[in-house]
Amino acid sequence: MTRIRLKLALAAMIAGAALLAVDPAFAHAIGGKDAAFVAATTGPDPFPFLYLGAKHMVTGYDHLLFLAGVIFFLYRLKDVLLYVSLFSLGHSTTLLLGVLFNWHVSSHLVDAVIGLSVCYKAFENLGGFRSLGVELDTRLAVGAFGLVHGLGLATKLQTLHLRPNGLIANLVSFNIGVELGQLIALSVILGLITLWRLSPTFGRFALAANALILLAGVVLTGEQIAGYFFTGGA
Amino acid sequence: MTDETPPSALRPAQRSTPGPGPGQQPAQLTVSPKTLISVSLGAIVVGALIVLGAILPAEFNHDPLGIGKLSGIGRIWAPAEHKLDVNSSSVPLAREYATTFRSDVIEIPLTGFLGGAHGSELEYKFRMKKDATLIFAWEVIGADKATDVRFDFHGHTTPAAGSKELMQVASYKEAYGLKQQGALTAPFDGIEGWQFSNSGDKDVVVRIRASGFYDLIPPGDIGNEAGIIANVPAAQARPGFKRPDR
Repeated sequence: MTRIRLKLALAAMIAGAALLAVDPAFAHAIGGKDAAFVAATTGPDPFPFLYLGAKHMVTGYDHLLFLAGVIFFLYRLKDVLLYVSLFSLGHSTTLLLGVLFNWHVSSHLVDAVIGLSVCYKAFENLGGFRSLGVELDTRLAVGAFGLVHGLGLATKLQTLHLRPNGLIANLVSFNIGVELGQLIALSVILGLITLWRLSPTFGRFALAANALILLAGVVLTGEQIAGYFFTGGA
Repeated sequence: MTDETPPSALRPAQRSTPGPGPGQQPAQLTVSPKTLISVSLGAIVVGALIVLGAILPAEFNHDPLGIGKLSGIGRIWAPAEHKLDVNSSSVPLAREYATTFRSDVIEIPLTGFLGGAHGSELEYKFRMKKDATLIFAWEVIGADKATDVRFDFHGHTTPAAGSKELMQVASYKEAYGLKQQGALTAPFDGIEGWQFSNSGDKDVVVRIRASGFYDLIPPGDIGNEAGIIANVPAAQARPGFKRPDR
């Protein structure tokens, strides 16, 4: 049984490698016309910023991967809400503070930590920390990684030359958009995982799925570390 | 192992009861240490291979394993570009150059589209210093109609591989046509010229007449990758090229 699982896990990793060939450099930037829009905005403009926040979250697959890892083994809506709120709390805190106080952290380093957070959650789902005899409070870890994820977003938002006029209103709108986007994306992920749990394949593929998430985390981390060293830590 | 096998890797308590209370940790898989090590090492090894073999060559122009070159993934990488405004310049109307004045006739054979991209499309450029002048007239011989040949008249700098310098790009004209004549003042130290693509079914020859202050690019170098030899008839201008379709 374990051997079959192991083979499935390795097969899934190789299949996942093909999926990961999509360019991770664009995983999480706010670019093109959106960046131009943000730079041109003066004064409060809540709905466009709401939209940009939601778009950022729905298309930010490193965030989504982490959240998928978090809710993978959560069975009750109450628990899902608890963990997601913890993550949102951390996320909102650093997003707002980071922009207001001009915190500049290399976005490559932040994204590397986000990649590590994906690894962490997958490894925990695999029972890795328990096997090592390490006791980690998942709630604390999820909250802490929420802080880091928000910091990454704050750093990226600042490169867009936000105008001070209407800044707070726009930031709050953006943040609400991020939470809305997260809610939308999570509903889809949660729905799919809940459906999947009904099937006997869930137990068989849970190992493979988390192995894949772990692999994706390793790749995201490596890509960002490479970006930090080869593009001057921008 | 049958389909009825319960997902025994989950802790049984969390399957049969509503799940952990908010005060407890979420469920986890229970797998043997051997499996855990295999999966973790597998993820790290495969992940490292993807990063070192594909992402580094494609995104950062580093190829530690040589896979980028072998697989062609490394060709995806291109230096970041900066497009210049080609309609603004401030060079004096009368200019003198230290470079030797030269004139060349370059005959470029292009196959019909059946010859494949390798035969029907190529790029020919001149190396020029900033503010140097090229006077040119080219025509396509043997084409049926003006829409058979598309050209892209452009120039760019050539940053060294792996350099963080932006590639300066100047795009002058992209169009269909069988001739063009005029003059160019180079906006930077770099290479300037044309990409020609023949989409007609006949073989054609592009004859470029050039005069001015430039250097020919040796066959095989960037800007003359097709290996065109100047000042010889078209039949001898691309030695070693074999049509794939005949």
